[in-house]
Amino acid sequence: MVTEESFFAWLDGELDASEAERVAAEVAADRQLRERAEQHRAMQSRLKGAFDGLLSAPLPESLVEAARADQAEVVDFAAAKRSREARRWAPLPQWAALAATLAIGIFAGSQLPRSSNASVEVQGGKVYAASALENALDTQLASASRGDTRIGLTFRDQSGAICRSFTDPAASGLACREPGRWQIRGMFAAPEGQGGAYRMAAGMDPNLAALVDSTIAGEPFDAKQEKAAQAQGWR
Amino acid sequence: MTAQPPFDTELVALLPRLRRFAHALCQNGTDADDLAQATVERALRSRAQWQPGTRLDSWLYRIMRNLWIDTVRSRGRREKFEAPEDAAEQVAEDPRDAIEAQLELNRMMAAMQRLPEEQREVVALILIEGFGYRETAEMLGLPIGTVSSRLVRGRGALLEMMGI
Repeated sequence: MVTEESFFAWLDGELDASEAERVAAEVAADRQLRERAEQHRAMQSRLKGAFDGLLSAPLPESLVEAARADQAEVVDFAAAKRSREARRWAPLPQWAALAATLAIGIFAGSQLPRSSNASVEVQGGKVYAASALENALDTQLASASRGDTRIGLTFRDQSGAICRSFTDPAASGLACREPGRWQIRGMFAAPEGQGGAYRMAAGMDPNLAALVDSTIAGEPFDAKQEKAAQAQGWR
Repeated sequence: MTAQPPFDTELVALLPRLRRFAHALCQNGTDADDLAQATVERALRSRAQWQPGTRLDSWLYRIMRNLWIDTVRSRGRREKFEAPEDAAEQVAEDPRDAIEAQLELNRMMAAMQRLPEEQREVVALILIEGFGYRETAEMLGLPIGTVSSRLVRGRGALLEMMGI
């Protein structure tokens, strides 16, 4: 007997493994429940699919300005320099270093020299991978990890663009190919106290898994397909 | 010397998700972008209240949700049922290509508008934003049972609206 509560909790991945297995078996054995599960999955996929387009849409200029306003205040030359010095003496997670370097990247057009190591940058209202992250997305295969960034899945999205999930010690995310660049579709900070190796061993961030799930068309690439896609410039 | 939290960078990276949540709550894109902007401004003003090491996304979602509730309350019941009457017909179509995407978004926003606010926020956080029941309950300050029963009602209503 499957209660309504446990049926939906199962559908939403909220049950522990043994309970989920029990409900799955009951649903599999009951045509009405199977159909109901399919209907709700179709509903959610359509609903989420409609809103997910916003993740890759250009951001309104005013919104980016609002978020930048603060960076202009907090990251001046002196602060950036202090931050660089701090990193030299006490290496911070790569992600923490980004706070300063991204802010500098945003100023690139005006007065500050472009930072060479910001991992993301905003251009035309979109967030793109840069430097080490861009390099990892361009050149790294899932099987051959090196450096701080590791590549997870590679696949095509519904529009046919190639997407790759990535993990570094303090964050994970998904980037999809636009001509010549990797657009960041989502990025998730590691939960408290779950940096580095622990996080990688624990598997994909559930938010990232959900994003991959709603973006992917078909199956993830196997090693051979991944290599072939790289050879063709991720087109 | 302690490590500074990646507040600014994470905030920028979270903008697309904040916009998505705003669109799920608001009745049109203009209101949604206004809400997203107000959220960013409020977050920057109160950034001292954010506890480094805790999730920035939940904190921002909570700010957005509270601002949205304030707007809804100040507006009163006046605009509550303004969603177009033909939303049910509108949502019955299927998206075909990228040009259709904006229309599809409008349809789904209209469908969301037809849900009572307390169901809409739960549906947005769990079915669209991908939060778990517990995270959602914590963000909204509700018992988990209340969250799951609102979710059941909300998803049932959407199923009907879409004619699935």
